[in-house]
Amino acid sequence: MSVNPITPFRVRIKFAKLENLRFIGHLDLQRLFERALNRTGLPLRYTQGFSPKIRINIASALPLGFISRAEVLDFWLNAPVDLQEILENLQSALPKDLQILDIQEIPNNAPSLQASVKSSEYSIIIPNTYAQDDINTKLRNILDLETIPVERRGKIIDIKPMITTLYFYEEGDSTILHLQMDSSATNNGRPDELLKLLGIDPADVIIERTNLVFEE
Amino acid sequence: MTLIDKKLLNKILYHVEKPGRYVGGEHNMFLKDWHSVDTRLALAFPDIYDLGQANLGLSILYELVNDRPKLLAERVFTPWHDMETAMRENRIPLFSLESKTPIKDFDILGVTLPYESIYTNVLNLLDLSDIPIRSAQRDTSHPLVIAGGQACFNPEPMADFIDAFAIGDGEEVIFEIIRTYQEWKSKNLDKNALLKSLAKISGVYVPSLYEVSYFDDGSIKQVGPIENDVPKTVLKRISPTLPAPIKKQIVPNIQIVHDRIAVEIMRGCTRGCRFCHAGIVNRPVRQRNPEDILEAIELGVKATGYEDLSLLSLSSSDHTQILDITKAVYEQNKTRRLSVSLPSLRIESFSVDLMDELKDLRPGGGFTIAPEAATDRMRTIINKPLDDEILFETVETIFSHGWLNLKMYYMIGLPGERMEDVEAILETARKVQQIGKRLRGNRVRIHVSIGTFIPKPHTPFQWANSEDPESVQKKIDFLREGMRQSKIKLSYNRPDSTLLEAWLSRGDRRLGQVIEQAWQNGAKFDAWDEGFQKDCWYKAFEEAGIKPDFYINRERRLDEIFPWDHISTGVSKDFLLEEYEMSQRGETRLDCRKGCHVCGILDCFSDIRPNQQDIYWGCP
Repeated sequence: MSVNPITPFRVRIKFAKLENLRFIGHLDLQRLFERALNRTGLPLRYTQGFSPKIRINIASALPLGFISRAEVLDFWLNAPVDLQEILENLQSALPKDLQILDIQEIPNNAPSLQASVKSSEYSIIIPNTYAQDDINTKLRNILDLETIPVERRGKIIDIKPMITTLYFYEEGDSTILHLQMDSSATNNGRPDELLKLLGIDPADVIIERTNLVFEE
Repeated sequence: MTLIDKKLLNKILYHVEKPGRYVGGEHNMFLKDWHSVDTRLALAFPDIYDLGQANLGLSILYELVNDRPKLLAERVFTPWHDMETAMRENRIPLFSLESKTPIKDFDILGVTLPYESIYTNVLNLLDLSDIPIRSAQRDTSHPLVIAGGQACFNPEPMADFIDAFAIGDGEEVIFEIIRTYQEWKSKNLDKNALLKSLAKISGVYVPSLYEVSYFDDGSIKQVGPIENDVPKTVLKRISPTLPAPIKKQIVPNIQIVHDRIAVEIMRGCTRGCRFCHAGIVNRPVRQRNPEDILEAIELGVKATGYEDLSLLSLSSSDHTQILDITKAVYEQNKTRRLSVSLPSLRIESFSVDLMDELKDLRPGGGFTIAPEAATDRMRTIINKPLDDEILFETVETIFSHGWLNLKMYYMIGLPGERMEDVEAILETARKVQQIGKRLRGNRVRIHVSIGTFIPKPHTPFQWANSEDPESVQKKIDFLREGMRQSKIKLSYNRPDSTLLEAWLSRGDRRLGQVIEQAWQNGAKFDAWDEGFQKDCWYKAFEEAGIKPDFYINRERRLDEIFPWDHISTGVSKDFLLEEYEMSQRGETRLDCRKGCHVCGILDCFSDIRPNQQDIYWGCP
């Protein structure tokens, strides 16, 4: 493949990952987008190298089972195309549980998504099958801790410094927990790890990523 | 209709491996309104999604049924062990991927039976669906359970569990079954009435309407229908022309086997290899025209976004227009990023030419050939003649045209095989390796794959004995040592694991109790390397009072009535016997395009043979 002389047209979409698609992992999602983009017939830009692939950049891997209305993905075209046209075309090529929420053109020299993502905001609905008082007490205690050690792949790490914000309130029968945690390549906070410390099976709650925070 | 408790389901999905197997929601999935249709089918492949979703037959039926406004079809696969445990613990019945409806709420459950080692999974699938496993235990409140697929040409081992088998191509008969079901349902009759009307459809076999009696030695004395208007023999159905290509192939959200577009270019084979089940049961040869193949590719690429395509047939080189096809496929796709594989090529330089025509669409990776046997004597017995000179010449061409990896398929345990035939496999592989090294140096890799021969019903070798696992193991040990010394990669099945296929493929309906017992003992996923639990099966045979040796360790009498004799592939038993005897005399038979050998196919199907010139049937 020769190098394409045209300046690439860089497109950024924000999308929701819901319902059935919560159970599709990051690599599968990557492949899913490659095929969906292929179905659109858009003038896709490929990576250079021995086995070129459709150039896609997903900001941050969403853990399996989480839902989100805040995922962000960049892809590149060899020619400018009307954004509304791209949106309609791509949406019809996607399974219904992936919904495009926003689309914009990004300067080609903008920093990569993965390098600029800083943290994630999560909203977690804890049902009343877990005693609200008990959860509230545990959450308060956790906030007071100096360190919050969890085991990850055989190593003990402290997730306390990864927590930027934590607050919670009761809404009807449930406890709503808001959490902001680091999502960078080096520090990736996992809300499910925190839930386990509270004695909550992450499978019992709905964890939604509500926002991705990028470096300014 | 009751829906599965979504909350509970989501909870268990959170903890299982690859939950994407159980959620559906793929691009091109049909999700129709349950209440807007007359009849609802669940289409099952009794293994995990990762395997089953790749099944072409099932995908064809799924689309054909869903294309009709008043019908719906949804998919179901067998859950993997972890999911099964979680479902049983939480009392979640097996459900369809599309609407998450319990399988027991469908009208018809259609099960694919592609091979024998899937049988215990069928029982498990029924049980997980809260459907009684035995046909006799099911009534009008349960779905009608039908089966189709290549293993159904000997339906007898599954006779106790399946209400009706569709023998042969399913594309037309499926709608006749549905229509019969609808008529029956409108009349409010009992299940037996349904079974009797199903038995009247050509190509449908209802095992409960047949009776089998046995001689003291265990062989069959007689098989016959218990009622007058049930046919003595069930002749398979064929589609006179290949079905239209799939318009909207489902694109899985997780990686599956054969994760690509599949376009069937030809059905059947005229070669007449005597070991080959597919070659007999899929007669006659029916080709797809080049224009239709190109259209199928265009549809496939646009509907799926796949960058891989496979042109399927039993013997690609035998398509009469294969050269035009490869040229046209190249022209059609040269500006696309598409890799086109063309498997099942004959061993001749022409095959390499075909691959060359695909130019840069040719997939990376190796070239595969299937000599099956390494001596002239053995190749005569199996009727797959090949001159060593042509083999080595082809191999030279393969290496000199750029390939570095060559895979060769062989079989051992064939009738009349001697140790020298096995030794010849090693010698051939070494020569091939030398050719590769001479032309391309040390980067050349040879991979020999050994399959253990199992005599199959409806083939000329259906009378043959199957070799005992100990003696097969010795041959494998010999090959393993030799290939190791020469640094040739060898892969093979454990001879033990082929036992099950050997018992079941030529089994009778008495094996139903063995299958059930083995499943009770814990057998499932028998097709998986780690899945086949010999002990469950031996114990089941013992409990059923049946000797497994009866099914494998004996040569059949030439006049023996086989459990599958009342199922006709269109190829006569006389023809098969003649072939078996020719094999023992060391005689080969030419490809039947060069002259009809009167196998019986034309007698059965000449009335539906299309008379248009452009629709090619392999028969002269």
